[in-house]
Amino acid sequence: MSRLSREELARRKMHARIRTIIKYVIVIVVAVIPLIPVWVMFLWLLAQSFSAKVTFGVIPQVFTLENWKFLWAPFKMGLKEYPNIWPITMNTLFLALGVAALEVLISSMAGYALSRMNFPGRIGLMQFIIALHAFPSVILLIALFIILNKMGLYGKGYMTLLGIIIIKAGLEIPMASWIIKGFFDAIPWDLEWAALVDGCTRWRVWRSVILPLVLPGIGAISIFAFLSGWAEFLLVYTYVVGEEYYTLPVLIYYLIGELKFVNWGMLAAVGLFFTIPTLIFFSTTQKLLLRIYVGGVKR
Amino acid sequence: MVKVTLDNVSKFFGKVKAVVDLNLEVRDGEFVALLGPSGCGKTTTLLMIAGIYKPTKGRILFDEVDVTDLPPKDRNIGMVFQSYALYPHMTVYDNIAFPLKLKKVPKHEIDKKVKEVAKLLQIDNLLNRKPAQLSGGQQQRVALGRALVKEPDVLLLDEPLSNLDAKLRVMMRAEIKRLQKELKITTIYVTHDQVEAMSMADRIAVMRAGRLQQYAEPEVLYNKPINLFVAGFIGNPPMNFIEGSIKEENGEYYFESEGLKLKLSKDLGELVASKSTDVVLGIRPEHIRVITSGEVDNAIDATVYVIEPLGRDLVINVKVDNTLLKILSTPGLKLEPGQKVKLVFPEEKIHFFDKYTEKAII
Amino acid sequence: MSKLPIPTYRITPWLFLTPLFIMIALAWIGPLFLTVYLGFTDLQLKNFIAFIKDFFTPQVHFTLDNFRRIFLAQDPYIPEVARITMIYVGSVLAINAFFALVLSIAIAYFVKSELISMSLRVSWLLPRITPGIVYALMWNWFVSRDGMFNLLLRLAGIPESWLPSNWLLDKPYSQLLMIIVNGYIGASFGMIVYTAAIKSIPPDLINAALVDGASEFQVARRIIIPLLKWPIMFVTAWQTLSLMASYDVILMVWGAAQGASPSEVLGITKVAGVTVWSLYAYTQAFSQYQYGYAAAISLVLVAIGLGLIVFYFKVFGFRRLMEPSRVEV
Repeated sequence: MSRLSREELARRKMHARIRTIIKYVIVIVVAVIPLIPVWVMFLWLLAQSFSAKVTFGVIPQVFTLENWKFLWAPFKMGLKEYPNIWPITMNTLFLALGVAALEVLISSMAGYALSRMNFPGRIGLMQFIIALHAFPSVILLIALFIILNKMGLYGKGYMTLLGIIIIKAGLEIPMASWIIKGFFDAIPWDLEWAALVDGCTRWRVWRSVILPLVLPGIGAISIFAFLSGWAEFLLVYTYVVGEEYYTLPVLIYYLIGELKFVNWGMLAAVGLFFTIPTLIFFSTTQKLLLRIYVGGVKR
Repeated sequence: MVKVTLDNVSKFFGKVKAVVDLNLEVRDGEFVALLGPSGCGKTTTLLMIAGIYKPTKGRILFDEVDVTDLPPKDRNIGMVFQSYALYPHMTVYDNIAFPLKLKKVPKHEIDKKVKEVAKLLQIDNLLNRKPAQLSGGQQQRVALGRALVKEPDVLLLDEPLSNLDAKLRVMMRAEIKRLQKELKITTIYVTHDQVEAMSMADRIAVMRAGRLQQYAEPEVLYNKPINLFVAGFIGNPPMNFIEGSIKEENGEYYFESEGLKLKLSKDLGELVASKSTDVVLGIRPEHIRVITSGEVDNAIDATVYVIEPLGRDLVINVKVDNTLLKILSTPGLKLEPGQKVKLVFPEEKIHFFDKYTEKAII
Repeated sequence: MSKLPIPTYRITPWLFLTPLFIMIALAWIGPLFLTVYLGFTDLQLKNFIAFIKDFFTPQVHFTLDNFRRIFLAQDPYIPEVARITMIYVGSVLAINAFFALVLSIAIAYFVKSELISMSLRVSWLLPRITPGIVYALMWNWFVSRDGMFNLLLRLAGIPESWLPSNWLLDKPYSQLLMIIVNGYIGASFGMIVYTAAIKSIPPDLINAALVDGASEFQVARRIIIPLLKWPIMFVTAWQTLSLMASYDVILMVWGAAQGASPSEVLGITKVAGVTVWSLYAYTQAFSQYQYGYAAAISLVLVAIGLGLIVFYFKVFGFRRLMEPSRVEV
């Protein structure tokens, strides 16, 4: 092996250093600078909601809870006056819990069958589930509007919300089944065979052996379903008539139009209030949710 | 306890033929090993006996009852899996009690039986632990306990020792054999390790590519292998094979191969030649004698290639022309690579196989 | 020990699947057929009540007019919508598939500290996990007159005269904003898929290249990117479908800015020039009450989507479509 001269060695070290610098310049330009708006927006949400005045958008000046008055005091949206935000929060909760319950129950059954059972058309069904991605949700929105009308569920308050729960769950169940199938796939067949040999029926295997093992996955799916019901905007916006049946996203939507420039503080506070469950769940079950957000979200 | 009969059983997965026309009878209380390389269909066979796979063709009988269409839970079998398949969310106690719970056995009786089995397997101090807190050997015992607690008619073992370290494996080998003899349960044991099969089983079914090759007692497999595959699979180091042909010169019979000419007795020569002249000679490493000096009749010239001392034994690799042979010998023999030696093949230990059909001639 | 007439193992799967089938029929298949039917009718506000009472009322006529309006450009706004959609899908796709690639290599390979890499990844995920309406709220503040966007741009040295008076409504700017707003959400999809793929490359492979004398850039270009061929194709394919169908973020950002009810949305998005195809279908139904026409417009998307997914199944095969993050070494 040829020895490197001292100058050559220094030159190479220099090159290596330049390459390292270029590397980090790329990282900063590509991955960090574009994040500034995102960070600024979240900082604003925090700062603005707790202060009477902010400078440069993100520096809080005077601490106040004035912006959070909607938690206990009446507020107005358009001509409608709400006693406080809790009735609307309850509507949202009703929707989110309904969606989560329905979705988890049905997709954990279907996911098990898809993962563990042999039946004619199994591959076809899986392909079909993936192919559903090709149908834009807008076509369903128009037709479902007609169907809700036909069933007399349009503009019927809580009945409409119930209809929305079924629709929302129905739209998400195929993908959720697919994801849960993935969780079932990860459980070794040996365990299932052992349970069969030990004397279980298929139902019993599912209930006593498999389900407890996929519980973390099921938990993540329920959180995901809950959050997606919690954040659902379009269906409620399009189908619900009557301000007392709105959910938080629709309430916020109309509040933005009304209060921007006038009361950013309250908007930020409502927004933060609404985002809290999402942030809590995401920070606790980040890894599993990540998997689902990629597989499950329609975009 | 029951007799297990496989009657012309086949299992196809799409185009893949996992098991083809398998006929096998396991006697009441017998310990049978299914032996073969991975992918030979032995685990598939076991899962069919368990009722987890349905045979594509054929019937499975327990005693005289056709159980082909019965689900596993109605067959009263116990099974130990290669991965042990312990339920990770249950304690050792619950794992063992699970089959009894499913049978709706009264609580106090479950308790009694679980403790009995735990004691038998010396895991009675582990009952409150979760599987993840156990060592491999302990998990193995729990799996065995779970299989035995329901007092099964048939015990199925799928490579139960392959995840244990070498020392533990030898110990468990003896223990499983003792248990089986003590409880007299009909047992079917799947393994790819011929030593395991030879040391434990009453009879061994050697399988290859979904087909049964030979089904016999260990000594028979060793002494009278039915074809090249069985001969090569049983025994360690494996049997030496030399391709060649049978020649007749002046009424004398010879086995001839490159660099090797071996005179055969008239009886043997005639017998082999009557079946085939293109043959494969097989001889086990332990049956070749090495002569370092002096003249011996009908000996073969060889060169020492490499020596592997194994403590108790000595494996000598020699080259006859370009063919490498392994010889199992006792230490003490002083040999150097490159040294010329002579080999003697005792005629009664020689096997001949047809080169084309691979079947044993003698 | 009796033999059942039909073995239970034949029935059980269907028992597990029935609820799924019911939900799919209710939320997907039924509406799909109804949309196809609607697309060939002149259903609108004036015969809507009659139609709800009876799906085959004589007041609703079978017609091909809807498709004539679309394909013969009898609706003058259609070419504009098509143009906006193509710009939207093309640009956001570029962000999702290619910007995300550079981003993932930067975050998952160039940054060696797991902590920094992790926090960057979480930050990039924020736009995706934030509820859409809050995301819309934040953007509404961010691009408003007293918001930070203009301030940051001025800090970055963009001359005052280049900046619009209203980001949401001044035309090329509003369309640029539409791409940015959606790009932030989309980038994380590609990022997650690519990051998983990069992490599944055997470290030995990268080490071997480094020992062989490659710099980290060369490793990225010669080893990582070629191995990411399938994930890149998957992200492109999948996101094309997603983007064609997506309009909810646009609706939330631009609609909320004016507090527009469904019937008022079309006016705003027209002014801003952000009416993508699926949003146009939505507004035709819920702003213009032209249900038949709206169904026909959305059927165009269905046709394209179906064509694409069949094409994908052919090109990728089912397996690959299912395991996008698997790297083929």
